[in-house]
Amino acid sequence: MTRSRNASPEQRNSLRRPVEECFRREAGPSIPIPGDDADLIESGIFDSMAWVSFLRTVESASGAGDLGSSLNDRSATLAAVFSALQDAGSSASEGSSHLPRQTRHGISSPAIITGSSSALASRLIPSEEVDRAFGMPLGKLRSRAGIESLAYAADGENEVTLGTRAAQEAMNAASCGAPQLDWIIATSETHHDYPSLSAQLHSRLLLREDCAALDVGGACLGLLNALAVAQSLIASGRARTVAVVTADVHSRTLTPDRVDGEFGGLFGDGASAFLLRRASDDIGDAYRLGDFIFGCAGQYAATIQVGARKEGGLNVKFDGEALSRAAITRMEKVLAAVELRSGIALASVGAFATHQPNPRLVTLLAKQCGVSPGKFPPIAQTSGNLGSSTCGAALHQALQIAAKLPPAAHQPIFLASLGPGLLFGGGWLTPRNGSGRA
Amino acid sequence: MNKLLITEITRMGPAFCVIGLQHENDRIQSIRPVPSFSNGWQHFPHRRGDILECALTPFPGAKPHVEDRVSTRGFKKLSAVTEAETVAYLRKSELARSMPDLFGCPIHENKKGSGLHAYPQEARRSICGCETQNLRLEICANELRATLALPSGEVLRDLPVVDRDWRDFVEAALAETRGANRTARLERFLNSHFHHKIMSCPHHFIRLGLTRPFHDLCWLMLDTLFPLPNPEWLQEF
Repeated sequence: MTRSRNASPEQRNSLRRPVEECFRREAGPSIPIPGDDADLIESGIFDSMAWVSFLRTVESASGAGDLGSSLNDRSATLAAVFSALQDAGSSASEGSSHLPRQTRHGISSPAIITGSSSALASRLIPSEEVDRAFGMPLGKLRSRAGIESLAYAADGENEVTLGTRAAQEAMNAASCGAPQLDWIIATSETHHDYPSLSAQLHSRLLLREDCAALDVGGACLGLLNALAVAQSLIASGRARTVAVVTADVHSRTLTPDRVDGEFGGLFGDGASAFLLRRASDDIGDAYRLGDFIFGCAGQYAATIQVGARKEGGLNVKFDGEALSRAAITRMEKVLAAVELRSGIALASVGAFATHQPNPRLVTLLAKQCGVSPGKFPPIAQTSGNLGSSTCGAALHQALQIAAKLPPAAHQPIFLASLGPGLLFGGGWLTPRNGSGRA
Repeated sequence: MNKLLITEITRMGPAFCVIGLQHENDRIQSIRPVPSFSNGWQHFPHRRGDILECALTPFPGAKPHVEDRVSTRGFKKLSAVTEAETVAYLRKSELARSMPDLFGCPIHENKKGSGLHAYPQEARRSICGCETQNLRLEICANELRATLALPSGEVLRDLPVVDRDWRDFVEAALAETRGANRTARLERFLNSHFHHKIMSCPHHFIRLGLTRPFHDLCWLMLDTLFPLPNPEWLQEF
C-alpha cells in the first residue's frame, strides 16, 4: 500500500535529529548526511542489508515498529522515511492499529516516582565463604566476577518480608498511606508460591480490599515490566497511585546441591519498591517516567535456561561466556536505543540503573558506552546479583543520590535490564525540575 | 570429473552463487563451484535437483568459504532428482540444530542495527542446513527478509533471503501486470497461505550461508528455502 502523504517541513525537522543520528550510526560519521531525496541504495551509500539495518534502528528510536512494511513501494530515501514516520504518527493519533507500538504514552506520560526504597537481606557473606560453599577456588567470585560480598536472607526473611519492608519504606518516603494505593504490582524470579507475592504483600500492607494486586514476570527484567504496567494504568486513568515491588531470595533456590557455583554463586537476596503517582502540581521534586523499550532477542535463548526437574531440583543451562557477551552487546544496544528515543545523550545521564549480572560486566558495559563506571550504583559488588531487585536497588540508590543535590543539578536516569529469553528492556526518568531534557 | 547435485542457487548482486552436494568417500559434502575469474556466475541455466558433471579443482579459498572449488570447464546435465530427494541428501550433509553449530563458531548480532554475523577467522564453513521450528518471510522496505527459529529455540532475525527461486517468485508477485495492491496482497500471502504451505511440507528445510567477508564480517543469509515456490501460488492472491 502506497501512502502519498508527504511530511511537512516542520514535521520533518522534528524527525530529522533521530533519523540523522541513526544514519550516522549505520553509515559512520565520515559519510555526510545526504539530501532527503537521494536514493541511499542507488547512490551506493547503503547496500540492501545496511538499508534494512538502518530502518530497524529508526524503528527502535521512533517506536514505529512497522516502518519497513510501510516503506514497501517507496524509494530508499530519507524523505520516504520521514513520510512513513509521519504516517505512523498520524495513525497513532487517530487510534488506528497502525501506530508506533511503544510511544503512545510516550514522554508525556504523567507517572512520577514519589517514593522508593530497597531492602537488602541482612546476612552479609564474604564472597570467599560462598566460593567455599560451592566448592570453587577461594577468591574466584572476587577475582573473576568482582563480587566482594553477598546479601543472604536470614531465618525469617523471605520475598514477602523483604518486599513488605521495601514497600512500607517507599510509602513512608512518599507520605502515602495504605488506603491511597489503587494497585500493587509485584515481580520476583524466586517466589513461585500461592497466594502470589502481590497477594501476600497486599495482606501484609493492609491495603484496601479494592486495591488490585498483580504479579508480572520477566525475571531480571521484572522491574521494568512492572513499571511499564504501572505507568500504563496511571496514563489510562485506571489508577492514581501504584506501588511496584520487587523481591528475590536466591540463596534458598540456587544452592550448592542444585547448581554450579559459577551460576548460583553470583546471586544474592533483596527487594525494592517504588511509589508511582499521577503527576500533579502539588507534588514537588520527583522523577518522571519516560518511555519504555521492550523486546526479545531470541538468538540468545539458549544461553540461560532454568527449569524444574521432575524429581525436584533445578535444571540449569548456563553458557556463562555466551551470556556475558550477549548481555553486554544487548545492554549497550538498549542504552543506545534509549539515548536515541529520549534525545538525552549518554554523557548527560546522571546514573544508569541497570541490571548487573556481575560487577565486571558493569565495568565493561560502562567502557563500551563511554561513560564512567561510577554512574552505575554498585549493587552487585556488595550484594550480588539480586535478580529483578538489582535494577530496583540501583534505581533507589540513584534517586537517593539525586535527592541530596539541589533540583537544578538533577540529571536523567537511564534504565536497562535483561531477562532469560533474552528479554530486554530500557527506559528513562527525567527530573521534573532539573536539567534533564523532557 | 565430478558429479554435483545442485542444491543452492542464490542471487548475489548481479551474479549467481551455486552450491552442490558431492559424494566423497562416505560423506556428502557441500561444494561451491566458482569460475576462475570471480565468485559468481553471470549465467547459470540449471535448476536445483539437477545432477551436473563438471571438473573442479581445489584451491585455497579464504576462510570460511572452504567449500570453494574452481570449475575448469562447463557443466553438463546428467540427470535430475526431485525436490524431496534433494532435501533428503541435504539432511545427510552439513547439519546443525543450534546457532554455534551452524558454522562452528559464535554468531554475533549487529550492534548498530539488524542482522547477524560471524568472524571469518572463526567460522569453519560457510554453508549449513537446518530444520526450523518456525519461519516467517516479510517484505521490509522492498527487501525480502526471513526470521526463523532453530530447533534449539534460538531465533535468527532479518536474514536476507537470497534464494533465487524465492526472489523470482516475489518479483513475479510484484510485477505491474498483476494489478493493484500487489505488495499488500503479497504480504497477506506471506502471512497466511505461505505458512501452511511451507511448514506443513514434509521436505521443509533451509540452508543458511555466510557472505564473503565484508569489512571483516561475514553476514548470515537464508540461502535456500524448501519447498521452492510454486508459480501456481501466484493465482491464489
